[in-house]
Amino acid sequence: MASTTEIYEQDTTEFEIEGAFDTDKLVHLILLMCASLATIVVFFIIFLLFQNAGNFFRKVPLEEFLFDDHWLPTDEEEPQFGAYNIIAGTLLVAFGAMVIAVPLGILTAIFIAEIAPPKISKFLKASVELLSGVPSVVFGFFGLIILNKYIKEVLGAPSGATWLSGSIILAIMALPTIVTVAEDAISSVPMHYREASLAMGATRWQTISKVILPGAISGITAAVILGLGRAIGETMAVLMVTGNNNVFPDPITDIFSPLRTITGTIGIEMGEVPANSLHYRALFALAIVLFLITFIINLTANFIISRFNKKLRGELKSKSRNQILIPEIIKENKKTITYLILSILFGWLLTNIFDIINAVIISLILIGIILVLRIISPFKLEEYKFLIYFYMLFTLLAWVFSTWFDWETAILMCLALAGFIFILKILNPINQQRVVFSIISIAAFISVLSLSIIIYYIVSNGLPAITWEFLTEDSEDSGRAGGIFPMIVGTLWLTVGAIIYAVPIGVAAGIYLSEYAKEGPITKIIRTGIDNLNGTPSIVFGLFGLAFFVLYLDFGISMIAGQLTLALMILPTIIRTTEESVKSIPQSFREGSLALGSTKWQSISKVVLPAAMPGITTGMILGMGRASGETAPILFTAAVFKQKSLPRYVIQPVMALTYHLFVLATSIPDSDTQAAGTALVLLVLVMIMYSFAIYVRNSYQKKKNW
Amino acid sequence: MNLKVKTKLVKEISESQNADIEKIKAGNDIIIECKNLNLWYDDNHALKDINMIVKKNKVTAIIGPSGCGKSTLIRSFNRMNDVIEGCKTEGTVEFRGRNIYGNRISAMKIRKYIGMIFQKPNPFPMSIYDNILYGPKIHRMRDKKKLETILKNSLEMAVLWDEVKDRLKDSALGLSGGQQQRLCIARTLAIEPEVILMDEPTSSLDPIATAKIEELINDLKEKYTVIIVTHNMQQAARISDYTAFMYLGELIEFGETEQIFENPQERLTENYITGRFG
Repeated sequence: MASTTEIYEQDTTEFEIEGAFDTDKLVHLILLMCASLATIVVFFIIFLLFQNAGNFFRKVPLEEFLFDDHWLPTDEEEPQFGAYNIIAGTLLVAFGAMVIAVPLGILTAIFIAEIAPPKISKFLKASVELLSGVPSVVFGFFGLIILNKYIKEVLGAPSGATWLSGSIILAIMALPTIVTVAEDAISSVPMHYREASLAMGATRWQTISKVILPGAISGITAAVILGLGRAIGETMAVLMVTGNNNVFPDPITDIFSPLRTITGTIGIEMGEVPANSLHYRALFALAIVLFLITFIINLTANFIISRFNKKLRGELKSKSRNQILIPEIIKENKKTITYLILSILFGWLLTNIFDIINAVIISLILIGIILVLRIISPFKLEEYKFLIYFYMLFTLLAWVFSTWFDWETAILMCLALAGFIFILKILNPINQQRVVFSIISIAAFISVLSLSIIIYYIVSNGLPAITWEFLTEDSEDSGRAGGIFPMIVGTLWLTVGAIIYAVPIGVAAGIYLSEYAKEGPITKIIRTGIDNLNGTPSIVFGLFGLAFFVLYLDFGISMIAGQLTLALMILPTIIRTTEESVKSIPQSFREGSLALGSTKWQSISKVVLPAAMPGITTGMILGMGRASGETAPILFTAAVFKQKSLPRYVIQPVMALTYHLFVLATSIPDSDTQAAGTALVLLVLVMIMYSFAIYVRNSYQKKKNW
Repeated sequence: MNLKVKTKLVKEISESQNADIEKIKAGNDIIIECKNLNLWYDDNHALKDINMIVKKNKVTAIIGPSGCGKSTLIRSFNRMNDVIEGCKTEGTVEFRGRNIYGNRISAMKIRKYIGMIFQKPNPFPMSIYDNILYGPKIHRMRDKKKLETILKNSLEMAVLWDEVKDRLKDSALGLSGGQQQRLCIARTLAIEPEVILMDEPTSSLDPIATAKIEELINDLKEKYTVIIVTHNMQQAARISDYTAFMYLGELIEFGETEQIFENPQERLTENYITGRFG
């Protein structure tokens, strides 16, 4: 032993750390700071919203704000701030959108994941993803010009600007989100589940409905919740099509009633209020309500998604459900309590929508059915729960229909529907599958059709406007003539600026989360922050930009304020895609590099990052697409309709395609062709970015051979 | 033999071990020595009191059934276990007489002297050229001529030069499995280590590729010290000078390969080698 020590003793200093400076620690610190930024921004947004709402709630009592329906903010003698109709309108229009989008979206997802032939499925998947990039102002433009006209002329509504058109447009916008997330959930149910079910002689539909959908249920729920979040936070399309009247639909099923939403109110009014006036504060108070709603929605969705992933990995223990402290009594009588709550709810609904006598009659019929069933067969009540739920559901459905048609038609429609479901139930499995598959295919067809109609309309109406002059000249006569060159330049400047600010921070944060973060409370907070930033409505970013960049930092309405606001908005997308693509690089690359004596940062920067580059690029381009299509964040921070020259400095305001289209469509009469042309240019710009991103990702997945 | 009996046997063995080591220690050509090495993954005690030496310019094989800790042991020779979260090491591993887990020791520099080849070939997704010169470049070698020499020498030493000399700029991922593994060996040789650790380097290769790697290991002995983990006993018998047999995180027997395979001192070793368990 002594001998070895003697031989080598003199030259073992070469193993030692040189100096006190450790690059790795510095890098770690910088990355941690970038990752924390996202969380800080979330808290900062909350803080600024409250700070700008300021003493609003001291002047206007919370009950009045939430439950009064007089919204007269500009009344000189006695301004009133009752937001009941506005908050209700937000929820109603989103609910209506969900009624349309959820069945369509889920059925389309089933079609893509399980039924369509591989080629069609691939094509549909790519198109749906592509369509998720269509800017909301383009949807709004379509809704305003075509859908509203159709609803007025064909369906006979007094005005085209209705709850219905808002919900339809929102449904089409939420479709890509719901389809993509639900399709992911369905496809990630392991193949051997399908095989096990099919091997027992089940039909494909039985396999789908009894094995695959239950397996994917939390993922699908998350899809629905995310779609709901998108619908509630959407600004431009809703603002353009719903009419913005401060009314509550009467009766509540009056889908031809106009509506006003939180986002619409902020979008319309914020541009005209003096900073720090009571009205200004009231709009921030509305933004707080909006933020809280989406915050809760996001938290729920993320909770469900993380549970779903755990379930897929088999980590979810059945114990975890019992960890929530529920008294034993409630646990034992869970079913009774559920029934009790349901019937109370049902009774309450009945008394609300019918007079007492009708309500009693309907309840008596229900009780009668239950009694008859008990007498003629000795089964437990359990066996009939579907029948009872059905009865409740159809009573409500009949009432909804009755407000649209007369009672006889409504009851007939309900009976027809019930009969159809009954027949479907007793069909033999193969015929049942045929019927169901046709329904699913039709639903998928409708989804695709609705999206393509919009694209077709924009293209066919926009093309005549496209000339060389249109693309290269400034607009004239308030946009009725001339071109859109300055807007194209403005949009590009805003997008490029946003990317320049967001990419370094976003990529650094993504690297931190995938390579350095240890699972612990800090990482959890950072992740929650990023997830919530991702789901925050773009108009809230707009308000943040206004309060912080424009007013507090005194940038004024300027390009840089818009770029920074957009940068914050796309930050989560970039963080997420970076994290995912870095995580997908096999551990063996890192070990191979470390074993050659590299530092951690060397192995990340020289091996991992180059390999993850295509994924990071995809995130970057998606971020660009999103930034260039957004209107709400630049509404109060950067965009102006008319400006003498192209912006030469970052503190000058800019013109932008989205804002130009918005103004043309809503305030400049006789500018339809120009507006359609602008919409087409915007659409093409965004679609190019999205398809490029999808192409990069797909070709990278194909090429990847480690 | 049931598990209880096995565990009891393991305990008796620990004492007799020190005697073996003393025997082999004679001579002054020890390059690595670990003393009372213990390692935990969180609560899992993966290495228990390992005492072992590695001689310079020899091939030392570590054998044992799956999960016995042989990969963990070889990874603790160049501190690759540092990468794993929740891993705790006690005891010492001395390289040239200096404890690599000691104060002020840089794991990066240790790994420059003690290179490693992994179970699955892991060429980086770059060209063959960039793969080989990755190591020299991160160690700040910039002299173009020297780099070219290193490239050629290391590829020649790994018997890969003739196969790839015309496509050095091609992606390394286009090579066959065996070629990839030799590329990884060449990549390690390019940083001129003194010891090469190999963690089941042939387990994902076909017999012909395996034979080539084994031949290569035999050649490497002249200049380098090789430690190889293998689940293939014939391989250990064919290529190694010393063999360590591990079981349930303990070093059961360590000695010259011939002695281990022909005249094992421990019943556990004998049972394993004769294929009665494993």
